[in-house]
Amino acid sequence: MSKLTTMLQTPGALIACDDDPEAVFELMCSKGWSDGLPVIPPTAERVERMLAYCDRDLDKPVLNIPPRFGAATPIRIAANAVMAGCKPEYFPLVLLALEALADEQYNLYGTQATTHPCTPMLIFNGPAAKEAGINAGQNAMGNYFRANAVIGRAVRLALVNIGAAIPGTGDMATTGTPAKFTFCVAENEEQSPWDPLHVELGFPRESSAVTVIAAESPHNVNDHESLNAEGILTMVAGTMTITGSNNPYYAGQPLLAFGPEHAATVANDGMSKADVRQWLFKHATLPLSRFSRETIERRFRRKLAAQYADAALDTPVRMCAKPEDLLIIVTGGAGKHSQYVPTFGNTRAATRVLKRADGTLAKSLHDFKRN
Amino acid sequence: MGQIFLVVPDAPIENVAQLDANRQLGETGIRLGILDNTKGNADHLLNMIIEGVKKEFKVDSVVMTRKAASSRPATDAILDQLAKEADLVVSAMAD
Repeated sequence: MSKLTTMLQTPGALIACDDDPEAVFELMCSKGWSDGLPVIPPTAERVERMLAYCDRDLDKPVLNIPPRFGAATPIRIAANAVMAGCKPEYFPLVLLALEALADEQYNLYGTQATTHPCTPMLIFNGPAAKEAGINAGQNAMGNYFRANAVIGRAVRLALVNIGAAIPGTGDMATTGTPAKFTFCVAENEEQSPWDPLHVELGFPRESSAVTVIAAESPHNVNDHESLNAEGILTMVAGTMTITGSNNPYYAGQPLLAFGPEHAATVANDGMSKADVRQWLFKHATLPLSRFSRETIERRFRRKLAAQYADAALDTPVRMCAKPEDLLIIVTGGAGKHSQYVPTFGNTRAATRVLKRADGTLAKSLHDFKRN
Repeated sequence: MGQIFLVVPDAPIENVAQLDANRQLGETGIRLGILDNTKGNADHLLNMIIEGVKKEFKVDSVVMTRKAASSRPATDAILDQLAKEADLVVSAMAD
């Protein structure tokens, strides 16, 4: 009898079901354990295969997921990863993303329970992303690619099932977002003219990392005409300046995901990421008058009184508190599009580097394979 | 049709403090705790609730607390104060 099988002797750890795909799906839906789409049955054998790529104690929580603060043990996370359709070698990346979400500055409690339509966007950097096949090219934020689809889905299923982020009780999102099914990308490091995000944040280039942000759905920046940095950034600034986002009010970190062609145009004009941030901090502004009278009075003048109590109506409202708060990556394939991703606001991005249980940097996903 | 056994993917609620059911509200004065979540109008709603409770029950004291932000949990200091100074707590979400 394996160690896992022994652990699963605990009352309530297993549930019986007819051996039929439709019966499994019905059971999962009736228990509230699906995201509304069919799942792979999390049998003990499949969960054990998933855990073959886990070098942690199988029953020791990696985190407690709010709002229920359920104990997210590798066994429970693996059950959700099986359901999502993960290959076992994806499992270290699912664990890594959940570890990043546990960072206090991410504010998982607030982002799980809010009425705002945010969801974790997982941004992977480094060799493990490529090894897992996380798409960073054409349609990087879209459908079709298994690793993007199921790694993000596994994290979402864990947040709902272990954390009880159940719509209407634990997840109070007014409308939610389709990104709540999955939102997982890799940075297109080969086609970026700048250092990738994890290197910019101070991690070794050869390391693998995930950065999580509490993201809205991406907003497209279509610019087929501009031939220089100022043109591209003018169009970006126009997309960033929206009254309905949380970012003008809170000290959040929105994300600018350049398509490679836009990034090349901007970089060819000699602009670094820091230059881009400074330019957009200066130009991506809305006059206070663009907000509703009630929003100006109740939100800006009262809640943000230090800044706006007596501000004139032409006072510029910025989309983040300081230039460094704008995160920048490059992702996607050919074409003249970029994406702006506003965030929840009262949250900060969190980054975790892929390490083995003994603290050493992992060079490959296969470093996690149990003997 | 055969049966299979699936690993349950959810988690039970753990470490939940048991409610003390021995309150005798109405016989002695209530020490009323208020937790304002800072949402717009929460303060107005809570003040209405305080007045309503005072009409129905004898209220000895009201302790008002306020979170730093609606999207962050109450701090341990706030929770400790409410545990120490209140018999029951009303929290409000408003907008």
